Amino acid sequence: MAEPPGTRSARRIIRVGAIARVEGEGALHLVVESGRVTDLRLEIYEPPRFFEAFARGRRADELPDLMARICGICPVAYQMSAVHALESAWGVPVHPGVRALRRLYYAGEWIESHLLHMTFLAAPDFLGLDDGIEIARIHRAEVERALALRKIGNRILILLGGRSVNPVGVRIGGFHRLPTGAELQALADDLRRARGEALALLRWFASLPVPSRPQDVELVALRHPQEYPMNEGRVVSSQGLDVAADAFEDVFEETQVEHSTALRCRLRARGRYLVGPLARVSLNADRLSPAAAAAREELAHRFERPDPASSVFARGIEVVQAIDAALEAIVRFEPPSPRDASPPVSPRAAVGRAATEAPRGTLFVAVETDAEGIVQRLRIVPPTSQNQGQIEEDLRALAPSVLALSDDRARRACEAAIRDYDPCISCATHFLTLTVERRPPRCA
Amino acid sequence: MRVTVIGVGTRHGGDAAGLAVVTALEARALPRSVALVRCERPLPDLLEALAGADAAIVVDAARSDHAARGARRVAPAELADVATTSSHGFGVARALALAEALGRAPARVELVAIEGEGDADVEDAARIVVELLASLTAAEG
Repeated sequence: MAEPPGTRSARRIIRVGAIARVEGEGALHLVVESGRVTDLRLEIYEPPRFFEAFARGRRADELPDLMARICGICPVAYQMSAVHALESAWGVPVHPGVRALRRLYYAGEWIESHLLHMTFLAAPDFLGLDDGIEIARIHRAEVERALALRKIGNRILILLGGRSVNPVGVRIGGFHRLPTGAELQALADDLRRARGEALALLRWFASLPVPSRPQDVELVALRHPQEYPMNEGRVVSSQGLDVAADAFEDVFEETQVEHSTALRCRLRARGRYLVGPLARVSLNADRLSPAAAAAREELAHRFERPDPASSVFARGIEVVQAIDAALEAIVRFEPPSPRDASPPVSPRAAVGRAATEAPRGTLFVAVETDAEGIVQRLRIVPPTSQNQGQIEEDLRALAPSVLALSDDRARRACEAAIRDYDPCISCATHFLTLTVERRPPRCA
Repeated sequence: MRVTVIGVGTRHGGDAAGLAVVTALEARALPRSVALVRCERPLPDLLEALAGADAAIVVDAARSDHAARGARRVAPAELADVATTSSHGFGVARALALAEALGRAPARVELVAIEGEGDADVEDAARIVVELLASLTAAEG
């Protein structure tokens, strides 16, 4: 029988059988001895999915469609990192019009993914509610607003991907089908109206009691010479890292830990780090659109120090940014010829590497092909694998304040902290089981 | 009465069963007031499809501990025991609950679950939908 919380000599176990509102299955194991945290493990037990292994021996031009199957929420990110890597390997030129459409495509995914997380996964934590359904009953206008904005993201995915689930519109060098001028114009009209709605939604989130957990962590994101990063850029950090995406494997390393089926990525030189919206907004504030920059300025106090709890604001700012990026892509779009939109490609024996910015953070892909274009090696480093070390460190810092809480409140606090990272455990290799073990002092 | 029949699913394997039922129904003579819709995602597609209808029949592939496989009607209360594959846990049950919370849900929602991916399962589901349509029309008359 569990003793009351806060009893120092108690050995207390809290189990949460099915954590909601994260993608994937994992567990958190917390060991407390004499009121002190002695062990903390984010355990990902979801079976490995072997995408990297079963891609070997397949034609590389199958990768855009195969990669889209990795995640139902961020298929674009996987497609984009893969095609950029292959284009780098095979020397495929990319028409500026294709580049613009890829930015539009990626913006659609950011809009969809961020709004799902903000409204249905994170907001219940700030409002003390169980799920997004309860929010819809109490804050109907805000949920309707979020849904309308998400619909635009969904439209973009369908327009360029052919469908919103496992999209199939991408090919090496371009797209299988180009949108018409009328389709783009209608989308632009809706995007112009959406900016104000996105800002209004962000203001609502700013009015909520979002907690604060500032901490010291190195932030890592792509940085582009002119644009807010999506498809290209150098890998930079808050501690001076600045390397080409090609050099990712020189600077970062993946390791296996016993309690997780997901590989973990760390900086060879300094260990844990953080990727994602918070890192992007912090490292690329000067690349934001005027409206997104103004929104960030209003929330400047939330970005003075890296604070995972502020990620929800970073996502809201990035929704505005994505809307503006999408609009800019449409306005500047110069249609490529059919040949430029679907250029012929000549496979060669080569290795290509690329990183793009998935909604949850930097997504690195390395692919090696033979002269016939058959995949010899594929390596995928998703954002959640990169953030695991930081999530554990965050929870370690949070744990002392949780120990005095009831089992239910302790579980909720840990879950909420994990959700700040919007982890996609399925991508990294799904429900969280939280075990808090409180051990009495050992006899000398 | 405006009735929307909504096939939910993706185009892969057994999950395509809901979409296949809509395809099967397209080949049948249905009343003009019946709309057939395909949904790939519970959110936002199903939410959108539910809006504006007086009644909806939702057809989806499912997995449960029910002894008999094939197509069958499912009560809303049973949904918790019927696993539908979805991202971030947002499946048909939550989309229906969200529609209700937002005042978008039709007055009547019927659910048809398909456990199996054979043609006979799809035909069985289509037959159940046609029977439901007849009962909805009769109730109106």
